[in-house]
Amino acid sequence: MLNLIINAIINGILLGGVYALLAIGLNLLFGVLKLIHLAYGQFVMIGLYILYVLVVNAGLPFWAAAIITIIVTGILGIIVHILIVQPLLDAPRLNQLLALAGLIIVFENLSMVIWGADYRNIQMSLPVVAVGGFYIRMSYLIAFIGGLITLGLLYLFLYKTYLGLSIRAISQDLEGVELMGVNPKVNFYVTMAAGGILTGIVAVFFAPIYAVHPHFGSSFTILAFIIVVLGGMGNLLGGFISAFIMGVVTSVAAFLTTSEIADIIAMLIFIGVMLVRPQGIMGIREAR
Amino acid sequence: MLEVSQLSVGYGEFQVLFDISFKVKKGSTAVIVGPNGAGKTTLLKTISGLLPIISGSIFLDGIPIQEKKPHQIVEMGIAQVPEGGRIFPYLSVEENLKMGSFPKRAREKFKDRLKWVYELFPVLSERKKQLAGSLSGGERQMLAIGRCLMSEPKLILLDEPSMGLAPLIVTHIFKLIQDINTQGYTILMVEQNVKKALQLADNAFLLESGRIKIKGSKEEFFANEYIKKAYIGL
Ligand SMILES: Nc1ncnc2c1ncn2[C@@H]1O[C@H](COP(=O)(O)OP(=O)(O)OP(=O)(O)O)[C@@H](O)[C@H]1O
Ligand SMILES: [Mg+2]
Repeated sequence: MLNLIINAIINGILLGGVYALLAIGLNLLFGVLKLIHLAYGQFVMIGLYILYVLVVNAGLPFWAAAIITIIVTGILGIIVHILIVQPLLDAPRLNQLLALAGLIIVFENLSMVIWGADYRNIQMSLPVVAVGGFYIRMSYLIAFIGGLITLGLLYLFLYKTYLGLSIRAISQDLEGVELMGVNPKVNFYVTMAAGGILTGIVAVFFAPIYAVHPHFGSSFTILAFIIVVLGGMGNLLGGFISAFIMGVVTSVAAFLTTSEIADIIAMLIFIGVMLVRPQGIMGIREAR
Repeated sequence: MLEVSQLSVGYGEFQVLFDISFKVKKGSTAVIVGPNGAGKTTLLKTISGLLPIISGSIFLDGIPIQEKKPHQIVEMGIAQVPEGGRIFPYLSVEENLKMGSFPKRAREKFKDRLKWVYELFPVLSERKKQLAGSLSGGERQMLAIGRCLMSEPKLILLDEPSMGLAPLIVTHIFKLIQDINTQGYTILMVEQNVKKALQLADNAFLLESGRIKIKGSKEEFFANEYIKKAYIGL
């Protein structure tokens, strides 16, 4: 019994790595652009479809398809920025939300028209391996490692380069950053491209785990938002921690009860934290 | 070095600056004094390119800059220490200084200049790993000035560096500003602390309700009856 619970915790930690990857792009977009990207999960969905087309229809090897997918979602991020986000940057928050909610409908219906309602997945059954009495799903382990590497690279970018530094600063004071000689437009483009690239990476690591369908996106958008809000909107470290909390809680609760009850428990924890700390685990109360 | 000519600026319909003209000579310290709401911050923001102008022009070494974007103006060598310092509270002290060296020309000299700024402000060196938001008011102002020096500017705009600081710290900061000027930096400072600010000045301007009322040298300002009565309190 104890062994099985430890096993569930291990799986939860692996899942946490996947969740962290899912949430980080959303968090970055909020921190830098104050953008609430409602269509984030749909971006992941589009990534999965692109991957599916490239692997199944075009017959490309997975690695090549993965690279193309990541590039395309990055470009998609920039296009969405030019067409939707940029024009609404100074508009009331509600207009932005409505525009992005509109994007959900566009993405979902487009997928429905092109690929139909079927569940589609790339056939690659990765094994479950036994390590010292514990059972570990390879697909989760790969996603976990990929997630950590991606987060590591993102960390290096944000903390070791001038552009990354200015992206962190711009979320604190836009005008102040302009006075340092930063062209904020560049930062916004780079951030939107990074957000797109991250959804592409998520899609690549999700591909062996999930099948994609036109309504795939919304549950992941919600999950990502819960993680980001729980950690503190815009706080990258907070999002990272809360991703692992969510991963372990759902995994252990699902083992002890059922996966439906696990979702309820995760939600209750979320609501509980929000009541005690509305700003999230690592969040800072807005002074302004 | 800096020439402002017949500049008018406003926020939408609401005009704040009217027909402002003045010059700042290379290597000098110019001080603009004036009461709350006179338009001092508006003027500095306009020079930095943050506000659109209604009419007039601004020249840096003879090149018009009034159409340029803020980041281009910084690249050209005008750095501003904004009102209240506006340091980045969630970046460390050293990261704030690194932000100052963002312009291309400043990056390669980052290490040398960092050393120099730490010599000027030893307290920043002691706190380099600390989040800037945890600094005291005086330390923040020093950080803001140090950050501006990191960009290797030709001209430094200072918006009320004495704001909200204890008299002793104000004296210290003004001394540092004077040292920086002696090292060859041109300074345009906006202040309400008229007496202390004028002591640093080569030239001074009085800005009242958006217009320049009096121009003159430090000596002329100290001798002026109106300035004495309304601003120095003698
Ligand atoms: N963003 C804004 N929108 C509209 N009006 C503004 C704005 N900022 C400033 N003003 C107005 O412009 C005028 C000048 O303001 P400014 O901040 O330039 O004054 P100041 O001389 O810097 O004052 P202080 O000494 O209090 O800093 C004021 O009447 C102010 O109300
Ligand atoms: Mg002001």
